[in-house]
Amino acid sequence: MDLAVKDIRRHLGKFVATIVGVGLLLTIVLVMNGIYQGNIADGVWLIENTATDLWVVERGRGGPFNESSRIPADAHKSVAATPGVAQASPFVAYAAQRELGGASQQFTIIGYDVFGGLGGPGRIVQGRAIRAAHYEMVADAKLGLALGERVQLGRNVHTVVGITREAVDSGGNPLVYLSLPDAQDVQYEQDNRAREAARAASLKKLERAGYTAEQAAKLLPLLAAATDNVNAVLVKLAPGADPAAVSRHVQDWLHFNVYTTAEERSLMLEGRLRRMSGVLGLFRSLLVVVSIVIIALIVYVLTIEKIKSIATLKLIGAPNRVIVRLIMEQSLALTVASFAFAYLLTGVVEPRFPRTLLFLPQETAATFGVMLAGGVVASLMAIWHALRTPPQLALGG
Amino acid sequence: MDRDGAPVLVVEGVAKTFGAGELAVHALKPATFSVAPGELAALLGPSGSGKSTLLLSISLILEPSAGRIAVNGQEVYRDGWTGIDVRRFRRENIGFIFQSHNLIPFLTAQENVALMLQLNGIGAREATRRAREILDYLEIGHRAGALPANLSGGEQQRVAIGRALANSPPLILADEPTAALDTDRGTKVMGLLRKIARERRSAVIAVTHDRRMIEGFDTVYYLEDGRLSRTSQGAAAAH
Repeated sequence: MDLAVKDIRRHLGKFVATIVGVGLLLTIVLVMNGIYQGNIADGVWLIENTATDLWVVERGRGGPFNESSRIPADAHKSVAATPGVAQASPFVAYAAQRELGGASQQFTIIGYDVFGGLGGPGRIVQGRAIRAAHYEMVADAKLGLALGERVQLGRNVHTVVGITREAVDSGGNPLVYLSLPDAQDVQYEQDNRAREAARAASLKKLERAGYTAEQAAKLLPLLAAATDNVNAVLVKLAPGADPAAVSRHVQDWLHFNVYTTAEERSLMLEGRLRRMSGVLGLFRSLLVVVSIVIIALIVYVLTIEKIKSIATLKLIGAPNRVIVRLIMEQSLALTVASFAFAYLLTGVVEPRFPRTLLFLPQETAATFGVMLAGGVVASLMAIWHALRTPPQLALGG
Repeated sequence: MDRDGAPVLVVEGVAKTFGAGELAVHALKPATFSVAPGELAALLGPSGSGKSTLLLSISLILEPSAGRIAVNGQEVYRDGWTGIDVRRFRRENIGFIFQSHNLIPFLTAQENVALMLQLNGIGAREATRRAREILDYLEIGHRAGALPANLSGGEQQRVAIGRALANSPPLILADEPTAALDTDRGTKVMGLLRKIARERRSAVIAVTHDRRMIEGFDTVYYLEDGRLSRTSQGAAAAH
């Protein structure tokens, strides 16, 4: 006679409610796993999905994602002339927040050479890449824009010609791809009044320095901030070229910093992502511990509730294996069913979750293993308690 | 009363002392008695008199300090356990009836009885069939599918009796079997125990302080300050 199954059947409502409760907790654990891995995946997505071998950035900077980097727009020409370089393209990337689709949305604008340059969108699921020099854009599906939709960015209206999926920046915000000049235009756009105020302030400075109004007006363009900088130059190496040698050459002769994609990835993981990953990792560990403790307590309470029955079983001569099986089966049933519930629920939650959730099968399996081990340890504790229960507890009123 | 044959239970000089030296408590002074097949014996006495100590010793739960116990012809204790598997021996030779019935709450009446049979290696189908027979014998077969929580106190005690006699044990030990029942139901349970003792030739020992039921016993033992004495036949002891 399977006592565990009989008990579960008689208290099905209570058992199901317990499974749902524990399952919800385990769902949070699994979602936390997903957030943790999603945070890392988002963080390095742009680096890993930009088809480039080397990232050339401003000297002494850890750019272009961890730190701002500004290099002259024509620097890519010098880089392209370096031995071992097959192609070099200018690249800009910056965060923006605008009203899009009726809501204020944060996203990252990527500007690249749309005529065969590196750094363009790789995951277009609808539409096409940008073909025109101006006023076309490719946007990620997260922004909720439709093909053909016209979007005001800066002073110009851009038409959505392509949609990507899961193209995100290190913060999980969607990407918008523009042609390099459009991206620079949006980046350095200024309100007309602000432009006039800056112009007036510059004129005043020149006049105070002794220039006539006419001279000052002529000098004014030289004082204006440069608007044709880029954040990085992306490099594709020639077949057989040594990345280290090319990097050394660019560093020594052009005075830029150069990172391979692997180094750029490390910069991101050890820089911007480290603290967040640490926080998420800590929460994840705490949740796992809390879940195990709760499962252990539930298993223990389930056993304590039956302690008089266990004493009776011992008194009437039931062998220990009957009692061990009763406790162990219930503990395993609770753990496995709760985890299965959590697993199914995460499938429902994932598409609706506001951030990227990445579930690694081996991590999910490891979490299951830890929970199962916790359940087994809890049931062993309960069994230890049950086997120490004196049979005479069954006697008396 | 048919009390032919060798005694089912032999207790010779069984004593139990807790602690040692000046702190020693002699909970049970050397007690000697025997119970024959079909005999219905009562252990009577006030609280703290040693009733539970004696019952636990006979149940092979509490190891006595000295003496000899034999159940169904097998010596189980002689100044120490004789090396038997006490839990298995209990399962095969002793039936228990408790004051608060102690039915497994998530098993039906029939399953509670069948469990005892299955613990002794009877297959599930046969155990279920025999359990039903026992419940019918105890005139509670119509409640076979009910959970203990849905049974009255008297019905629960009948099921508990059914579980105790499921394996036809030679010895049935009852701990205050009528304490939780009113007089009418208690009398019925006593009648049932008597019937079992007579018809199944089991020796029944009941610990009780319920003087209403004393008349029904064949033999009454009285315990006071750990000392056992045989008072008389049940009817005489009641007065």
